[in-house]
Amino acid sequence: MSGLRGRVLVVDDDPVNRLLLRRALEQEGLDVEVAGDGGRGWERVAGGGFDLVLLDIVMPVLDGYEVLARMRGHEATATLPVIVISGSDDRDGVVRCIELGADDFLPKPFDPAVLRARLRSGLARKRLADLEREYREQVGHVVAAAADVERGEFRSGSLDTVAGRDDALGLLARVFGRMAHEVAQREQRLRAQVGALRIEIDEARTARTVAAITGTDYFADLQRRAADLRSGPGRQNGDQQ
Amino acid sequence: MTSIVSVHSFRGGTGKSNTTANVAAVLAGRGLRVGVVDLDILSPGIHVLFGVDQDGLDHHLDGYLWGRYPLRAAAREVTPPGVAGRIWLVPSSVAPHDIARIMAEGYDVGLLGEGVRSLAVELELDVLLLDTHPGLNEETLLSIAMSDALAIVLRPDHQDYEGTHVTVQVARRLAVPRTVLVVNKTPESFDADAVAQRVTEAYDTPVAAVVPHSEELMVLSSGGIFVLRHPDHPVAALYAQLADHLVGVRA
Ligand SMILES: Nc1ncnc2c1ncn2[C@@H]1O[C@H](COP(=O)(O)OP(=O)(O)O)[C@@H](O)[C@H]1O
Ligand SMILES: [Mg+2]
Repeated sequence: MSGLRGRVLVVDDDPVNRLLLRRALEQEGLDVEVAGDGGRGWERVAGGGFDLVLLDIVMPVLDGYEVLARMRGHEATATLPVIVISGSDDRDGVVRCIELGADDFLPKPFDPAVLRARLRSGLARKRLADLEREYREQVGHVVAAAADVERGEFRSGSLDTVAGRDDALGLLARVFGRMAHEVAQREQRLRAQVGALRIEIDEARTARTVAAITGTDYFADLQRRAADLRSGPGRQNGDQQ
Repeated sequence: MTSIVSVHSFRGGTGKSNTTANVAAVLAGRGLRVGVVDLDILSPGIHVLFGVDQDGLDHHLDGYLWGRYPLRAAAREVTPPGVAGRIWLVPSSVAPHDIARIMAEGYDVGLLGEGVRSLAVELELDVLLLDTHPGLNEETLLSIAMSDALAIVLRPDHQDYEGTHVTVQVARRLAVPRTVLVVNKTPESFDADAVAQRVTEAYDTPVAAVVPHSEELMVLSSGGIFVLRHPDHPVAALYAQLADHLVGVRA
């Protein structure tokens, strides 16, 4: 079967357990980081980059409950899948962890098949959550682009990442982007037209030019003769067919 | 009686010759006898649109102005096939030494007026179109003064606006009975009605046509008349509309 993919943090104060888990996880194809107490565990988790956390309950510095509570209280880690490692007789602890937002639990000593199944479903949940978040973000891009169009600030290309999706949102982004681009172009053309058609004439300057042309004797003579020129021979005697 | 129509623009390259040739073709298409004189002696060019080879340009306006022959002798028939009416063209010389001589010596502008009148009589023209030189020199002023109608061609850009205003003022002082504006080389994206409205208001002068900047038109500049090549194109209808403005609505 194909291996799993992802980065998993093991938080457990028992070195033997840490080692066993690391081996088992690496065998599944996962990247593994470990922390030996809840304090360091929380630091690592808060640093980001994990797809799943295996969390022991009873630990020094911060116990599993506290780590879990902090994770759920922080937006970046609020939905990160957590599998609680519990002693097989610690029912109350498991219940409390699930109430605090743990996704699953793994009884010690763990059975590799059970571990694999839980990892699989935890990572799938993470991937789904990631996809959902990305979807929401990209819907946000489209909404922001609409606001840009309203303000006349749309930049073509700003929806390229969303437009690359091969789902309905991608289609929406492509169609929207194309239409917004056309609107922007039309507005640009309109601005060019308005600029080109601002017919500003310097009256004083043109009056001087007209005066220079019409002030000559030649022009005065033309003015006198214009009516004759437009009638006279060749113009209105019976030369039509 | 012959209607004389001048096609003018304050600057060169705005499309006077194209406009003139297309209006000539529209009017001839209606069965009229049309004369065209290339008065742009210093930068002649309309003969190209009528398919006249410059090697055969031995009789021209320049020769008439030098007293070599009557203007009628410089007129050649250029009626395109399938056109009901007729078109005659008086080209200007394209020979550099002829142009240089005109520039150096000038000519008797009065001869132009006489020549144009006798041409109208001899060819029994219904319409005589004058493709003028840009600017407002003496021969252009004369041709405007002689005209029953004047089409001023401009492009919708700031380089053309003031010169067009000057031309409109001058035409008013010469009491030209009918003056219209032709907005040419309009970017395709511009709204033609908006352009017409703005330009009409700015000059208090009717806009007879707003012609787009058209690639097909540009392609034909090496020989060919748009309305004949593309009679059903919307731009052809614009030239027909311009012709209506210039010689009165078609019968
Ligand atoms: N509406 C238009 N669209 C595209 N090109 C045009 C248009 N009108 C004119 N032109 C091109 O502009 C150039 C100048 O036109 P022309 O008629 O010779 O101007 P003018 O006689 O005023 O100097 C030519 O190459 C012509 O093909
Ligand atoms: Mg020309």
